[in-house]
Amino acid sequence: MTGLRFRLSVGCAAIAALIGVQYASPRAQGARPAAGAQTAPKYTITVMPPGGPPPRLPDGHIDLSGHWLPNSAGQGVSGRDGVDPAARRQFDPKVTPEEQPSFQPWAAEKIKNMTPVELELAKSSVNCMPRGLPAIWLQNPYSTVIVHTPTMMAQLYEVLNNWRLVYTDGRPAPKDPEPWFHGTSTTRWEGDTLVVNSHGFDERTYVMPTGWFHSDEMKVTERYTRPSKNHLIVQITVDDPKVLTKPWTSAPRRWTLGNGEVYEFYCTNNHELDELGKLKEQESYGK
Amino acid sequence: MTIRRLTIAAIMAAVLAAAAPSFAHHSFAAEFDANKCREFTGTLTKVEWTNPHGFFHVDVKDTDGTVHNWSFQTYALITLRRAGTSLELFKQNIGKDVWVRGCEAKNGRPFYAAAGSLKFASDGVLRQMGQLQD
Repeated sequence: MTGLRFRLSVGCAAIAALIGVQYASPRAQGARPAAGAQTAPKYTITVMPPGGPPPRLPDGHIDLSGHWLPNSAGQGVSGRDGVDPAARRQFDPKVTPEEQPSFQPWAAEKIKNMTPVELELAKSSVNCMPRGLPAIWLQNPYSTVIVHTPTMMAQLYEVLNNWRLVYTDGRPAPKDPEPWFHGTSTTRWEGDTLVVNSHGFDERTYVMPTGWFHSDEMKVTERYTRPSKNHLIVQITVDDPKVLTKPWTSAPRRWTLGNGEVYEFYCTNNHELDELGKLKEQESYGK
Repeated sequence: MTIRRLTIAAIMAAVLAAAAPSFAHHSFAAEFDANKCREFTGTLTKVEWTNPHGFFHVDVKDTDGTVHNWSFQTYALITLRRAGTSLELFKQNIGKDVWVRGCEAKNGRPFYAAAGSLKFASDGVLRQMGQLQD
């Protein structure tokens, strides 16, 4: 194929693709169905059904083991067409709205004064720092493998090849733990819910990529349930009186069971710090 | 709580509510210019299969005939793989024609852009490479 023919064919294909996206994509159809339309939009990727009852450990507790995707589809949804919007979500804000954090005035002021580039540089997805807890459950678009036994839950995060061990054997928490990205945890069962309490965090992480920082006094509670084989529900509470006026609790966020590959993700070729650093310099010249 | 504190809290709530849909990803819009998005055609010369982003390089001929080697940033590799785009596919297309829609860097770095979508001439399939900003 010659360059000119390729350009022409690609140009025509691009126009056709755009027209196709406009008039044929399930998303477009779903957003504004034709008057009187009776059929639901056809999506290639849809919400994963609950599956059967959850598996149990030898001690009778719910087994949280699995390869979990942070959406309702049980597979990757980013960069893909034909995905039911409901399959992209971890929760439906109309059903379980997530409250907004209530910041101490000084903390709100500090966040408000961050420039767009500073906000960007603070994100784990940009600076390649570990997300840490609780961000690993709140701002993680990649999968997590859980290996659960009666005495331990290993969490293997695809992002940055991070991992964390949560002991469920009743060991007490140290009084003065070292600051860790995932904190130090104790656990208990409340019926079929595994409750994990953690403290002792490294202060360099952000709870959300909105500039929401935390203090050395942050305490995090994770509540894990598996109401059915294919669904894992994780709900997070952040108690940080230095930064928040009251504890914040997330919506119950759904992760779904995948059966695809788990990929390596070492952050070794990060151009973003340099590029955003240049922008920050330009930003400061403009002040 | 004073009125000033209430105002700050209200502003923060509005900011966070607006930001909520983008919690999972960082923003291409912070680094790349949505007003400088365009189409590129040229020859694929190289691929860097690395994280947090992949990069591919394309020899693009300017209107004056000068050829420049452009570097295009992609999604993280996990996202590309789960969307069906592999390293093997890039390797098979080195030395062949490609079409890219991408957006240039805000900081003015020359010949550097974020790829939104890509087509290899060999199969003509439109592949999403990153967030489309336009």
